[in-house]
Parts: sequence; C-alpha cells; structure tokens
Amino acid sequence: MTASTLRTISLALLLSSVPATAQTGLGNENIETTAAISASTPPAAAAPAPGAPGGKGLAIRTAKALAVPLKGTQFIDNAVVLVKDGLIEAVGPARTTPVPLGYEVLDIGDKWLAPGMVELHSHIAGTFDINDTVYLTNPGMRASTAVRPGDPKMKLGLAGGVTTILFIPGSGSNIGGQGVLLKTGLSDYESMEVRNPGSMKLAQAGNPERWGFRVARSFMNWNTRNTLQRGIAYAKEWEAFNDGDGPKPEINLQFEVIRALYERRAPIATHTQIFQVANMTLTMVAAQLKLPVFIDHGTFDAHRVAPRAQELGVNAILGPRAIDVPSRMMMSWAGSNPERIQGVAAGYQDGGLEMIGFNTDAPVIPQEELLLQASMGVRYGFRWDNLETIRGLTIIPAKTAGIDHLVGSIEPGKQADLLIVTGDPADPRCAVEAVLIEGQRVYDANTNRRRW
Amino acid sequence: MTLPRTTLSTRSFASAKSAGVCRVGILALALALTGLAPAALADAEGFADGAFAVCAAKVLVCEEEGLAAIDQGVLLVRDGRIVAVGGVDEIAIPADHEIIDVGDSWLMPGMIDLHSHVGGSGGLNDMVFQVNPGLRVGTSVVTGNANLVRPLAAGITSILYIPGSGTNIGGQGVLMKTHETEFEDAVIRNPGSLKIAQGDNPKRWGYRMNRALMNHHIRYALRQGKAYAMRWQEYEEGRASIPARHINLDVFRDLYNNEIAISTHTQYFQVVLATMRILRIEFGFPTFIDHGSFDSWLLGELAEEIGVPAILGPREVMFPRPGRFDTDGRVEGSAWGFQKMGVTKIGFNTDAPVLPQEELPLQSAMGVRYGFDNSTMDAVRGLTIVPAVVAGIGDELGSLEPGKLADLVVLTGDPSDPRTTVERVWIRGETVYEVSEEVRLW
Repeated sequence: MTASTLRTISLALLLSSVPATAQTGLGNENIETTAAISASTPPAAAAPAPGAPGGKGLAIRTAKALAVPLKGTQFIDNAVVLVKDGLIEAVGPARTTPVPLGYEVLDIGDKWLAPGMVELHSHIAGTFDINDTVYLTNPGMRASTAVRPGDPKMKLGLAGGVTTILFIPGSGSNIGGQGVLLKTGLSDYESMEVRNPGSMKLAQAGNPERWGFRVARSFMNWNTRNTLQRGIAYAKEWEAFNDGDGPKPEINLQFEVIRALYERRAPIATHTQIFQVANMTLTMVAAQLKLPVFIDHGTFDAHRVAPRAQELGVNAILGPRAIDVPSRMMMSWAGSNPERIQGVAAGYQDGGLEMIGFNTDAPVIPQEELLLQASMGVRYGFRWDNLETIRGLTIIPAKTAGIDHLVGSIEPGKQADLLIVTGDPADPRCAVEAVLIEGQRVYDANTNRRRW
Repeated sequence: MTLPRTTLSTRSFASAKSAGVCRVGILALALALTGLAPAALADAEGFADGAFAVCAAKVLVCEEEGLAAIDQGVLLVRDGRIVAVGGVDEIAIPADHEIIDVGDSWLMPGMIDLHSHVGGSGGLNDMVFQVNPGLRVGTSVVTGNANLVRPLAAGITSILYIPGSGTNIGGQGVLMKTHETEFEDAVIRNPGSLKIAQGDNPKRWGYRMNRALMNHHIRYALRQGKAYAMRWQEYEEGRASIPARHINLDVFRDLYNNEIAISTHTQYFQVVLATMRILRIEFGFPTFIDHGSFDSWLLGELAEEIGVPAILGPREVMFPRPGRFDTDGRVEGSAWGFQKMGVTKIGFNTDAPVLPQEELPLQSAMGVRYGFDNSTMDAVRGLTIVPAVVAGIGDELGSLEPGKLADLVVLTGDPSDPRTTVERVWIRGETVYEVSEEVRLW
C-alpha cells in the first residue's frame, strides 16, 4: 500500500468522524496529526506554552528589565514581567509585583530582559524580487509578495534579537514600492504580518541615479513630487467622499499607498544621505507635502539637518554606515569636520534630534548585527546615559513605524516580544539566549543550538 | 589628568578611588628626602626627564602566560621603557617621577595589527612576476600618513605593513610605528615578514592559473630560498666560500634563522592545510595563518601541534553553507573555532583598509560575540602580546612588563568593548596622542 493511499484513507476517516469545526483546520495540519485525531481520542493538540495565547500565565524574573517606554523609567532592577495570552500584563520591581496563582515562574537570574529589536531597513525576509525598476516611480509594488516565512537569514536575525522588521523594496528607482512590517520568528505569512503597507519606500539620491541616462537629482525630485502630488490629490478625493462632499473615486492601485500616507496610516521610509539630499527630504516631503516621513540611512554629513529634523518631527533611522569620514571632497563642499571622524548618530544627537534609531540595511550588514550599529554609535561619540542605545533598537523604530502600541518596549498591553540576553544587548560581546514573540518561545540557544 | 606631586603627597590613602588611584609611596618620599633618588636631569618641578608613573583603575599587563591585569595599578616608565608595574600598594613611586593619575580609566599596551596596507602609498601589489620575494613594501612607507592618524588615536601603535595578495609571494612586509616620525624611527624591523598568498586573489594573476600550479611555484621559490640561506650558513660557519648575493632570496636568510615569519594569506580548510604542510612542515619556516577565515579553524589541532599561530580577520565568521561544511544553521566564529581546537596563539587583524585600521579592537569584540572565551582576557591578548610574539617582537612590545618599550594606551574601559574610547597614547614613553589636547579623532 502506498503512502498516498494511506493518506486518502485517513483523510476519509477524518472527514467521516470529527466535528465540522475541526475540519476547517485541516488544511494547515500535517497528515500524521490529523490521523491521530481521527483515531477518536480526544483532540490532542499540545497545550499552549505558558505566556503564549491560550496558555497559562508566565512570570519572568530578571536581574534587569530594560523596559524602555517612550517616556518614564527606562529600566527596572530585580524585576518581574507577567505575560499572558501573548501580551505583557505587568512589569515592575519583584517586591511590588506579585505573581498571580497558577503562573509559571521563569527565573532568568543574572540575565537581562529586553524588548525584541525592531529593524526598519531590511531586505532579507524573502527573495530579492523587491527592486523592479521598469519605471522611476512604482508606488503600487509590494515587497510583501516576496516574503518567505522561515528564511534562513531572517532566522539568524531572530537569534540576534531582531523580532520585527520592515521588509522594504530596494533603491533602484525613486519610489520602489511598499514595505511590509513582519514578525521574524513566526511561521506563516498571516501571523507574521504586522502591517501592510508598512511604509512607502522613497529613494532620493545615489542608487536611483543609475536608473537611466541623463537622470539626475533635479529631474528625480521633480518626478517624485509629481507622483506624490497626484497621489495626494487622489487621497483628497477619498477624503471628500468620506466626508460626503464628493463622488466615490475609482480605486487606483498606484495611489492607494499614498492615500495611506495621507491618512497617516504608514510613513515614507526615505533612502536619503548627504546633507543636500536629506535636506530635500525634509523640505519636499515633510514641510511641503506634509507626509509622514523618516530619514533612513541619513549618513555622511546629513547629520547637519538634525535641528530642522527635530523641528519638523522627522525621526532618523541610521545605518549601515556609522561614520562621516573627513575627506577633501566633503570638506570643500559640505564643511565636514576636517580632522575628526564624526559619528553619524553622535552628529544627530549633537544637533538636538531626539528620535534616533539604527538599521542594518541587511544584508549590507548582517541582520543579526543590528545591535552593533548602536555600539558603533557609542564608539563614535553617541551618548547613552538614558539607554539611547537600547531605545534606538526598540521603542524609537517602533514609534517611527507607528507600531509602538504593539511592540518596542516592555509595557502592559504590548505584545510579549522579549529577549533574554546575557547582559547589555548593545554590547556585541553579549549573546541572546532566548527570544519570545507574542509569548511564544521562537528561539532558544540551548535547545535550538546557539546560532552564533 | 596630570597631578602635581605636591597635591598628591597630602592625599589620604582612603580616598584613592574617588580622587584618583595614585599615592606616593612612603619609601619613595623617604628616599627623596635623603637624596637617594636619582636626581639627574630634574625639571623645574623636580621631575626627571622621561620619568613618570601612570596610575589606573585597571592595568592590563597582558603577559603571554600568566598575569592578565592588576586592579588599582601603577606603572613606572623611565627613558622610554617600563621599569616596574604592580598594585598601588606594591610600587613605590620615586619622587622624581611625574605622576599621571588616570582615575577610573584603564591602562594597556599599545595594540598591534599584523595585517595592514595603510602604512603608506600604494605600490605594494606589483604583479609582474608570480613570486616576488625581493620586493619591499618598506619603499612605500609614508610615516604618519592620514590613514595612520586615526589608528594611533584608537590605540594601535604598531602595524605590520604588508604587500597585497595579487601574487603568490608579494614581497616583504615592514613592522612600523603608526605615529609621525622619521622613517628610521618608525621602522621596528625591516623585513617584518614575507608575504605569501595561497588562495583566491593570486588566482586572478593569469589565465589557467590555479592552486596546484601556484603551490608548485611557491615550493620552487622556497626551495631556492632555503638552499641560498643554507649556503650562507655554511659560509658563516667557515665551511664554504662566500655565496653570490641574490636580493630576491636574501629574505629567506631571515626566515631560515627564525628572525621573521611568513605572514600567509590563507583561509579555506584546504588552503590552510597547504600552508601548514608546505611552509611549516616541509620547509620549517616560521609561519602564521593570516585571515584563517571560513572553515579553516577545523585545522586548529594541527596548527597548535606544529606551532602555527592564527591572526584572524577581517572575516570573523563562517556562515552555514551546506555545500561545503554544514553547520546546521549556526554561524561559527573563526576565533571561537581555533580556540576550541586548542590553538593558544590567536590574534586579530583588520586587513586595513578592508576594515578601518582604527577598528582593530572591534575584531576581538566580534570574536567574543561569536563564542571566543574571554574569561582570561584572551581577546585583549589577541590585540597585544600574541601579535607581538608572532611577529617576533614580543621581547620589546605587547605587554606591560619591566624592560619593554613604553607603548601605552589609556582608555575608558575594556578595549574589547567597542564602546570604549582611547584617551591618551604613548609610544616609547612619549605622548603621541591626548584627547583632551587634540580634536577627538573618532
């Protein structure tokens, strides 16, 4: 008897014997499991782990919880974090945070607990079908069509503590399409997706200049502005319709994402670097078109725009280049410091920008080395007396992407995306021991093998 | 911070931590009062020229085997050399020594990178022939060039400036200082090494070249060179007439006499195996693995057995690649791998400008990240004493031991933490960088 006839038989058994509600789950189960169910024993689904949705509560005791809320106390020594149904229920000092009856206690001793890291510039969630450059502006294209759950590079990132990524199009054209926010450690696309569109990718200089002969920045900015203006006009038609002031517009696939921007449901992630380009991001996108936008990369001497970025409320997510190296060329036209390597993050901080995060541009820098971007920021002068390193890896990118109500800090009500770390997650010599996403243990160095 | 001796002499012992580490030894004061302290060349404040004491919260001694660090330590320097090192309770500071108390900061030996290409101009990868043992990178040195200014400010005081890997034997490296000075003063030793490249880059030399022919060429050159060195030895022992000078082969005399080592661009398993079997086992030349990336750490046991150290970088890890060697999804650290296989001499390099020269300490940090055990400070040794010993300059540099040259670095904490920054650097007892006086370079 062949395997396929066996399957047919057990499938037939199953269809005839289990209640209709169980059948709806059939498509996602493998055949061994369904065969077991069909043997008329009670449904033997493994009980959800403590902390996971449907499981009992989980109480994590830790020497240090890096809570990093947007405002307020940034860390708690000797802390207890309560997790229930995939969400953080409570966080506080052990002596004032009682563990409810029935909760499983996980004591991680001297190890630290941190929120999962949030990476807003990643290209490694799937195949590289994310840089189609037929047109110069492509707001309709979606990176989400390239996602491959369980991609090996994403798994390495997960072992490095990166739990949420903004998977974005490349910078071969001026508008490369729509990014998607994903949870790295979950196994099917539907549960991975945090928000789609996660962002619209705009690239203003450098790479898109290679698109075609005679295309340079003046033309590109004109062309981009033209696309954005048309998209805003489209969004306004919808606004009028929703207010009862106009007819129902036809859906325009190209401009739907610009409507999302206009309604502030997603930001523009801008590949922008050097001073004049970053300044154009601020002028054109933030000040004139008034669309939500953040500086992505922001390297070389772009840190000189920091005061204006702070004024306009434009955050900076920095990387993969951490420094502005003095060069004769830079000095002559940009006035960069002629002698000193200027840390990019330090430059923004010195310029008064409060919301500074980090990126890897993975695979440019390996996804698992996101934290190193923060440590290199410190090496080159970034001050971290208020845990700015950890904040730049967690709550600041979460806030920038508009998902800080879900992730980015250890606060009641947020999803329990947590890292158990041997020490400071911004010290590259420390290692991530385990990762929880929505209360589920998705990586464990001891049972899964330490990935590095 | 430099403290006048008069204020120190009134400091109470109990306040050592908050007000600085140093105190003047009672014995030293007594000696000074009775006129027994060396009095020559005293300046206006009564300090002897070139004599000073550095007091630090932690002194990373970095002995090759043995003492790693001293908490609340003192180091005495006179005439460019280290005279004594110990705890504040053990070392009496002579009265004519200026006292430099760096408070909570740490003190360590100057760092050494054995794989650098930024010691001067280009002209270090001439590829007319496939083996070029006579070429000298020393001719390209630009002392204190712009690419050395930042490394110096990062605590890297010595480099082995070597030829590129465009040919199988690229020529002779030169051991040099990173600070601006005369060429003669900058050079520590010339030749500093012979550069051999076995895999990858030299394959691009010409059509139909591959490793079998390349290794044949290398062996051919090494046989010639060794025979030449042996003829000179026979002559020096009075057993033969004087051989004709051959400037292409002179460097082999240094190798044959164990005065320098071969720095070998070698990385994959099979290439590193050929390095060890040809250069070390067949010809007996001092050899170290330079790069040693990917899966080459699997040969660590053999490397240790035949005395081949590993200077690792700029690639720190082996990504899982089932085609060659399946790591079951795990990223393997090179340094971790060599250490696990029992290699005792593991150092780090940058291959600058592949990685910026000033980021040498980051290589050790990434080694630790990928599993290298740093519990006995091997990450710091890999930046100091290990490269010094491997390059044959361990008797003069690489640790803070009496008699050695005073190449010193003051920094805000552990050098293997990239968040640490350098505050002051001395070379041979002379201050060559001080953050408070100059622009912070990074």
